[in-house]
Amino acid sequence: MGAFEYRQAEEIRDAFARHGVRYLFIGKSGAILLGFPDTTQDADLFVERTPANGEALVAAIRELGFDLSALQASEMLRGKDFVQLKNGPFDLDLVFAPDGIERFSDAWDRRIEVEGFPVCHPDDIIASKAATNRVKDRESLPRLRSFRDYWIRSRS
Amino acid sequence: MRGHTGPSDEQLWIEEFEAAAKRPLPLRVRYAFIKTYRPVLDDESFRAFDTMDEYRRWCEANLPDWLGYGRV
Repeated sequence: MGAFEYRQAEEIRDAFARHGVRYLFIGKSGAILLGFPDTTQDADLFVERTPANGEALVAAIRELGFDLSALQASEMLRGKDFVQLKNGPFDLDLVFAPDGIERFSDAWDRRIEVEGFPVCHPDDIIASKAATNRVKDRESLPRLRSFRDYWIRSRS
Repeated sequence: MRGHTGPSDEQLWIEEFEAAAKRPLPLRVRYAFIKTYRPVLDDESFRAFDTMDEYRRWCEANLPDWLGYGRV
């Protein structure tokens, strides 16, 4: 499997829209969509945790070509906080309760649309990474905060 | 090593942000996403965790430190 490609981001966007999935790009993949120049391996999606959204998510994920067993689908529907998928055309991390963000609806209200991609606001991406407090996030946060300031200035 | 008279990290970062802003989104994505093998993490096709804390603890217990998934 190669690196995640733009056309695959489009496939997510389009499949999730067809099924009515409420989600946001988050993490470094979200920051990259906003213009942050950095590298990452994973596409991270913050998905609203409701029964209807879970059903829509499973249908969309299967349509994208992920090979989900009935047990795996039920785990996604049961309300896990984090699901890591490497059984499809690309790797995908699904986050239902990211550290540092209280409610999906709050992040949704602050979202940024980038060419049809719903993306968490940089403040939410930073809040999530800061709360996670991993070594790799700690190293990237100063540059990400600088990008946030640049991004705000460039929009005003 | 950069000399004391060179541009600051902040200035260099802003130059990088400005350069990135001129690139179309598909190109930004192409430059950004990479694929390298990550031991343990990439060895299972599906994982699910009840809580983020459970996931963080799993990362710390199972992944090599150099991957950077451990908490500070």
